[in-house]
Amino acid sequence: MRGTVGHVSLRRCFSACAVLLAVMIRPAPQELNAQVNPVATPIPDLAGIWDGGGRVRPTNSVSVPWAKTVPEGRALPDGTKADRNYVSNFPELNERALAYMKVFDEAISPKYDCQPSTPPALPYDPFHTEIVQWPDRVLFRYEKDDQLRTVWLDGRKPTAHDYGVQGFSVGRYEGNALLVETTNYVFDITGFDDYNGIPSSSLKRIRERYWREGNELKGTVTVEDPLFLRKPASYTARWLPAPRGYKLQPFDCDPELARISVQYIPPRYK
Amino acid sequence: MEVRRWISSTTSLAAAALLLTAVPVVAHHSSAAAYDNTKKVEHQGTVTKVLLKNPHGFVYLDSTDEKGQKIEVVIEMGGATGMVRQGWTKDTLPIGSVVKVSGIPSRAPGSHGITEAKFTAPDGTPIAPTPRPEYTDR
Repeated sequence: MRGTVGHVSLRRCFSACAVLLAVMIRPAPQELNAQVNPVATPIPDLAGIWDGGGRVRPTNSVSVPWAKTVPEGRALPDGTKADRNYVSNFPELNERALAYMKVFDEAISPKYDCQPSTPPALPYDPFHTEIVQWPDRVLFRYEKDDQLRTVWLDGRKPTAHDYGVQGFSVGRYEGNALLVETTNYVFDITGFDDYNGIPSSSLKRIRERYWREGNELKGTVTVEDPLFLRKPASYTARWLPAPRGYKLQPFDCDPELARISVQYIPPRYK
Repeated sequence: MEVRRWISSTTSLAAAALLLTAVPVVAHHSSAAAYDNTKKVEHQGTVTKVLLKNPHGFVYLDSTDEKGQKIEVVIEMGGATGMVRQGWTKDTLPIGSVVKVSGIPSRAPGSHGITEAKFTAPDGTPIAPTPRPEYTDR
């Protein structure tokens, strides 16, 4: 009969073939691997609880980890000692930053209401940090201010809804190190550190690199903020393993106690 | 020797805790706005309250000022997390005990705050906890 193949019409045959072809050439399911990469990247073992306290490195101050000069032989944040050729890493502030610092009133510092610390200060605060490595993310749990930072490894990007105190972090492994980039910070009048009164803007960008040297964890923290800094500023710090069996302690900032010392600050403005 | 390496690697405040028996306050943020580090003050009083909390612990003393008026001295310590590492417990300064304290006074006129405190018994015996041994090992 015309238009048939055997007892089956050509139209039905073509339809069946089309369906068969569509099934055969459908897109492959998306791989759920983190950091899809044709070349296997070694993943450094950063997991564990790390001590960033006073036994490990100099406690932060107005000149630590940002120092204009360091006497020869003085311990540096990375565990080495300063030599006579020490190069200042103190941030170069623009006029806007200097203007903010000039009028800054310590009494309104958000820390007195338990607002948490952020990088570049947070990684250097003298407390423990726990690192948890999952396939699609790395978790940084900070004892200080009970903070949790999630570093996404799956290529996702922040949206306009992802602004926050700790910003939005993405990362990848490269050359035996974890590289982290954090953006989407909210404006913070003391977003640089507790000592120098330097603010940070929503353009603050933090880049971090973490790697192992023997039993030490090392990290370089670089801060860029074109609204306040003339160029990026960096420090490198080290951590040692926490004592065996140590568990992160709750910080549980007490809002009432946090404000006690404000009463001792002579008012700057009426 | 492990102890020598520990002494050389700790902060100056922690070293003072061993050598000078001062009570270290690991002030990881600035206190200069609230306290005048060009001055020193001393009080003797009765411990009424010890708060080992974050971001700072506090010790309260009932004392008297130079005119004999009763005052409450508020001593700002380090955060609880760091203090516990340094060996502090709620029993280091028992409630009701009489102690002497010296340190940096608060700036606001008429206030009686102290930071970077050093505690002694009335006879001058230093009061300082022993840092936990797991934190003396590098």
